[in-house]
Amino acid sequence: MNCEKCQDLISDFLDGSISHQDKTTLSSHLAECLHCAEVRDDLQSIVGFCRTQQGQYAAPPNENALWLRIRNMIEAGASADTPAPAGTGRSFLGNWTARSWELSFPQLAAMTAAIVLIVSLSTAVGLRRWQSGALNAGIQSSQHSLSIGAVDVRNRISQQQQLISYWNQRVEYNKARWNPQMRETFDRNLAVIDQAVNDSFDSLSKNPHDEVSEEMLNTALNEKLSLLKEFAEL
Amino acid sequence: MTGTSPTLTEVSRTSLFRKLALAALVFVFAALSLSSVLAQQHLSKRYPVRSNVRVELKNISGTITVESWNRDEIKLSATMESPAANVSPRQTGDGLIVDVMADNRGRSDIGDVNFKLQVPVNSSVDLETKRGQITVSNIRGGLVRAHVSSEGDIELNGISASQVFAQNLIGNIFFDGNFSRGGTYQFQSGKGEITIRIPSDSAFSLVAATPTKRIALGPFWNDGLKNLGDGRKYTGDVGDGRSSVMVTTFQGSITFIRK
Repeated sequence: MNCEKCQDLISDFLDGSISHQDKTTLSSHLAECLHCAEVRDDLQSIVGFCRTQQGQYAAPPNENALWLRIRNMIEAGASADTPAPAGTGRSFLGNWTARSWELSFPQLAAMTAAIVLIVSLSTAVGLRRWQSGALNAGIQSSQHSLSIGAVDVRNRISQQQQLISYWNQRVEYNKARWNPQMRETFDRNLAVIDQAVNDSFDSLSKNPHDEVSEEMLNTALNEKLSLLKEFAEL
Repeated sequence: MTGTSPTLTEVSRTSLFRKLALAALVFVFAALSLSSVLAQQHLSKRYPVRSNVRVELKNISGTITVESWNRDEIKLSATMESPAANVSPRQTGDGLIVDVMADNRGRSDIGDVNFKLQVPVNSSVDLETKRGQITVSNIRGGLVRAHVSSEGDIELNGISASQVFAQNLIGNIFFDGNFSRGGTYQFQSGKGEITIRIPSDSAFSLVAATPTKRIALGPFWNDGLKNLGDGRKYTGDVGDGRSSVMVTTFQGSITFIRK
């Protein structure tokens, strides 16, 4: 099963309206795929929250006091500004700043949500660009032979590679403290998992739509990630 | 030739020196062996518990052996290679936690710590080690989890738990036991042979995958199983598919055999 199919089925899975066969396949995919498991967890928490609240959402405590504080702050801000002389020659900026910004609570909430969303998106985009720039060398070496049509597969692999690169740095930092035997063990095991990753890449480059290789690659990358995480804490 | 032959006294003196030198050598070896044995620390503790207890053990390096016995108590024995190693088991409301990782944080190399645990037969066991073999015998609790982060064989004998997870990177996995109705069973190795020995009437939903194409389902093969990726993966039901079984190895074989 690929991620697209999996995410189509997650909602039915959470509702319990899924066939036994699909459930088994989906469960095995979720056990392997970190990304889909996160989607499942997110959806589960949203559905759980809605079920608990049953459409009744609690208002913030002391709503009136909150609204009054907001109103006072806006008015205090407006009175501090020097009023522009009334007339037709006022600039757009002047009009905009002189305007009385009295907003209802829902308007304020919507505005705050929009600001948070924009900031989060721009941060995420910025971080991804920065990370992809810094880690490009590492990713390119293992992906040069990969010509997978599906963009989501490539994105997912890229995300996993970024995480792997991060944990790799942590391991390298701590490695000096390990005894030689542990270092040899780690290197030997990393080689095995890298072999599995490379074999899957090779297989996918020959047949880009091979679901088995895609699953194996996913499992191998997750396995590599967990090996790095576990040895990073040593 | 002007040399004189050695007298009887000289011969016996030489022989005495040789004997003394040999005795000294033996003594030095014995002392060295004794000191290395004494350098190892031993820990043995018993904890009274109820019958369906949970045991969690997180080791760094060393073997873990778990056996069941007919007593409502846990016996923990540990052999520590280095005197610097610290093992401080914690008894909780529902069982015992041993976390070598946490007990030795900040310490340098503590070498191998080898554990032997005797637990009630209905216990759940959750075992982890970065390196080393894990052996679990005759457990009938809810969970048996054996996780080796890198290399080490996993041997699970006489297991009848509803959830079994066995995972390593380099090493074989052997499971001998039963799959219970509605149970989940996952076996994953990076480079190792996975062998599963179960009763012939076992019923389960199977996902078995290995790029090596070495999947031998033996008596559990049926026409309803789907062959995907030219023999690299088999999925489908054996019997009425009452439990879920997932087996994956990257560089090894998967073998099912009948008990």
